[in-house]
Amino acid sequence: MNKEKVSCKDVMGHICESLSEEMNSPKCVAIKEHLETCHGCKSYFTSVEMTIDLYKKCTETLPGDVHKKLMAFLELTDEQ
Amino acid sequence: MNEELLIASAKNGDRKALAELVKNYEQTVYSFAFKVCRNREKAENIMQETFYSMIKSLHQFDGNSKLSTWLYRIVVNHCLMEARKNSRYTFVEQETDESLFDEKYIADWSSLPIKNLETKELRNILDSAIDKLQPEYRVVFTLRDVEEYSTEETAKMLELSVPAVKSRLHRARSFLRNEITKAFQK
Repeated sequence: MNKEKVSCKDVMGHICESLSEEMNSPKCVAIKEHLETCHGCKSYFTSVEMTIDLYKKCTETLPGDVHKKLMAFLELTDEQ
Repeated sequence: MNEELLIASAKNGDRKALAELVKNYEQTVYSFAFKVCRNREKAENIMQETFYSMIKSLHQFDGNSKLSTWLYRIVVNHCLMEARKNSRYTFVEQETDESLFDEKYIADWSSLPIKNLETKELRNILDSAIDKLQPEYRVVFTLRDVEEYSTEETAKMLELSVPAVKSRLHRARSFLRNEITKAFQK
């Protein structure tokens, strides 16, 4: 099998495309190998994961009065 | 009552079933709208419009997809309409991969004081970054990464091809990550 050669830039692009997806193609295997040895790309990979995690944690709960306003707007009531 | 029965009853004009459906999904819809538009008032309006649209067109819901998937399609459309009123986006489709994946952005985040930030400060950084992202990219990022829908499901909801979702997703991730890095480097 031909061994893929990848640069840090290739890795950065591919990390973003493939994060949390299957990584079994020759390109992905080369990416994984690159990640194990390149500190910069490993940091980049971690930071993209952290970006996603930060946005996941940044949630908003429905304020109580908003539910009442919604029901009134839709002319619905909680007890019918 | 299970969801199928609730939908059938609501289609037959049962207001109690309709209210139940709204209650079951209001948090999901509000939360998604907020994640996309980053504004409570806008999220509230989008939620109202989404459920108004749902009630108006519930008779067209054929049950071939989940109600949640159908609702996401509606809320996405309302989010896009709302977000397009804003023209402050700095991230445009034409931005090249050269600028997105520039090696100057390889900064080690372990040295960034993310954990020391107050929630409000961090939230401002996240809001400001996503605010610059075009709405079409924001909805892909939110559905795929934040709501954890698969690439295929996201593509279906947005009526996009799988490669288009992947392309928007990796650009959105990269852009947000770079914006957050820049905010910490200031």
